[in-house]
Amino acid sequence: MHHGLRGIQAALERLAAEDADAGSVADAARAAWLQIAAALSPIIGRQGVAALYRRSLHLAQAHNPALAAAQDDTAGAADFSALRAALAGQTSGSAVAANNALLDTFHELLSRLIGASLTERLLGSVSDAPSTDLPAQDPLP
Amino acid sequence: MTTAKATIHRLATGVQGLDEVLGGGLPEFSFNIIAGPPGCGKTTLAHQMMFALATPERPALYFTVLGEPPLKMLRYMQQFDFFDIEKVGRAIHFINLADDTAYGDLEKVLARIVAAVEQHGPGLVFVDSFRSVMLAIQDSGPSFITLQQFVQRLGMLMTSWQATTFLIGEYFTDADPNPVFTVSDGLIWLRQSAQRNSVVRKMEVMKMRGQASLPGLHTFRIGAAGIRVFPPAQPALRTARQPGARLGMGVAGLDALMGGGLPRGYSLLVAGPSGSGKTIMASAFLAEGARCGETGVIAAFEQHPHLSRGETVAGLIQDGRIGVVDTSAHNLSVDEVSALLVAEIQRLDATRVVIDSLSGFELVLAPTFRDDFRESLARMVSALAGTGATVLMTSELEDRYDDLRFSPYGTAFLTDAIIVHRYIEVDSRLQRVMAVVKLRASAHSNELRLFHIDAAGLQIGEMLTGHEGLLGGRPTRRPPQAPADGHGH
Repeated sequence: MHHGLRGIQAALERLAAEDADAGSVADAARAAWLQIAAALSPIIGRQGVAALYRRSLHLAQAHNPALAAAQDDTAGAADFSALRAALAGQTSGSAVAANNALLDTFHELLSRLIGASLTERLLGSVSDAPSTDLPAQDPLP
Repeated sequence: MTTAKATIHRLATGVQGLDEVLGGGLPEFSFNIIAGPPGCGKTTLAHQMMFALATPERPALYFTVLGEPPLKMLRYMQQFDFFDIEKVGRAIHFINLADDTAYGDLEKVLARIVAAVEQHGPGLVFVDSFRSVMLAIQDSGPSFITLQQFVQRLGMLMTSWQATTFLIGEYFTDADPNPVFTVSDGLIWLRQSAQRNSVVRKMEVMKMRGQASLPGLHTFRIGAAGIRVFPPAQPALRTARQPGARLGMGVAGLDALMGGGLPRGYSLLVAGPSGSGKTIMASAFLAEGARCGETGVIAAFEQHPHLSRGETVAGLIQDGRIGVVDTSAHNLSVDEVSALLVAEIQRLDATRVVIDSLSGFELVLAPTFRDDFRESLARMVSALAGTGATVLMTSELEDRYDDLRFSPYGTAFLTDAIIVHRYIEVDSRLQRVMAVVKLRASAHSNELRLFHIDAAGLQIGEMLTGHEGLLGGRPTRRPPQAPADGHGH
């Protein structure tokens, strides 16, 4: 597992342990996904990231039905707002569990396609940035 | 000095054989096109050069456009040995332009490329695949700039930024006078040529400004290590022969028939019918070399090379004193075998080379090369002579008693020496005879000598006196007469 992704997962678990509300967890999760998309899009294209994300959602749903609602994201290039909404509707504990499972699935899928070493390289810059440090975002349509 | 001409540095591409075909390497800051139909190895060639040349100081930018999804490209390219994952993100940056080309606005694509070039200061830039760019603008109607303008501006920009650039594209016909080709400094065309059931990869450098590339179609192969190009075997300018030095053949009595052995650096053709002992003679030649502390190389094209080589040679191969050229690949070319032989000769500093046999060699060639077998063989013999090694080639010779032939390909003129084996019928027995037919610039025996093969190898006997018409296969006794002079020239 990529150390940055593991860091993200740990940070989310800390949030849940600190009794943060599900909305904060969902915001942090979305910020992490935007970071991952930002790292990968220049290399494999926005469409490439969207396709991987869509497949990961499909696989992870089997054990986390809460993720089903997040499918709405996948109409265009994912901006992860549907994921945020789906997670915000859960308890913070299950929101963390669902998102971390989704991260695991995504990482495994990418590793199967291009190998673990190259996956580590491509995700290089992704890290567990504090959730309050959201990157600037376009207003949602 | 202001009058000095610009110096063009030539980069070593890291692709075996390619620098030679390009005419000494890749000109630095050149603007090149790698063209060819899908599956011909364009992306592999680009990656191999990129991984060889990119450094953190002078990184490479690899722009992927629609075409092949980058995920798949990364998945497959990393299977090659040259794909050094450590370089990705440091010396090599992959950048996807699909989102920019989707709308067919070349200005925007150019701006993206410029931004990336300014950010990374690359020494190498690749755009793969360029055809996708062309298709994208066709689909989206008129663009603000035409493709030719785009390429011209890209070319100028890259040269000014001192980046060696490659556009990779699927162009199906080289007859199409694509304006892009005019702008480029170099044009490398890759093909898969199909004939009958065989497919052979070929490369042509159609253009390389400022240097003399090797004209013609050059075969190449893609293996785990990447691409290897086989430039035509270069005829030796001068042979490294030492006058006077002779090599023992390892068969008792044979050296005497050859005026003292085979002159060093000569090529010898041993021709004869199936089962006559050509391979045994070749093995003896290699074993004798090993006995004298020499190393050898063998290219065997027989179906069961291990059976016929004998224990001595098998042992020498195991000890690494005789190198074996792998001839098991399909659709070989003479140039490929020639390159493998020369490499092996140089690796072992070998002095003796055996090719067993030319008939088997011809069978493993791709059909497309068979028509030129004689010409290629001549080049190969010359190239081998250039290494200074002494070469023994065997050749299957159909026994025909109505004419006297020494080689099936008209190859006799290629070699400096010829020994012929033949079967004859004497007293209801099949006997073997041999003769030294030719030994350039040397006296040799003209005797037809009986020989047989036993557990110890090839044993040369006496002349079959009292008979005539031996070469007709059915000698007849003739009345006794005075013996003839035993030596000629």
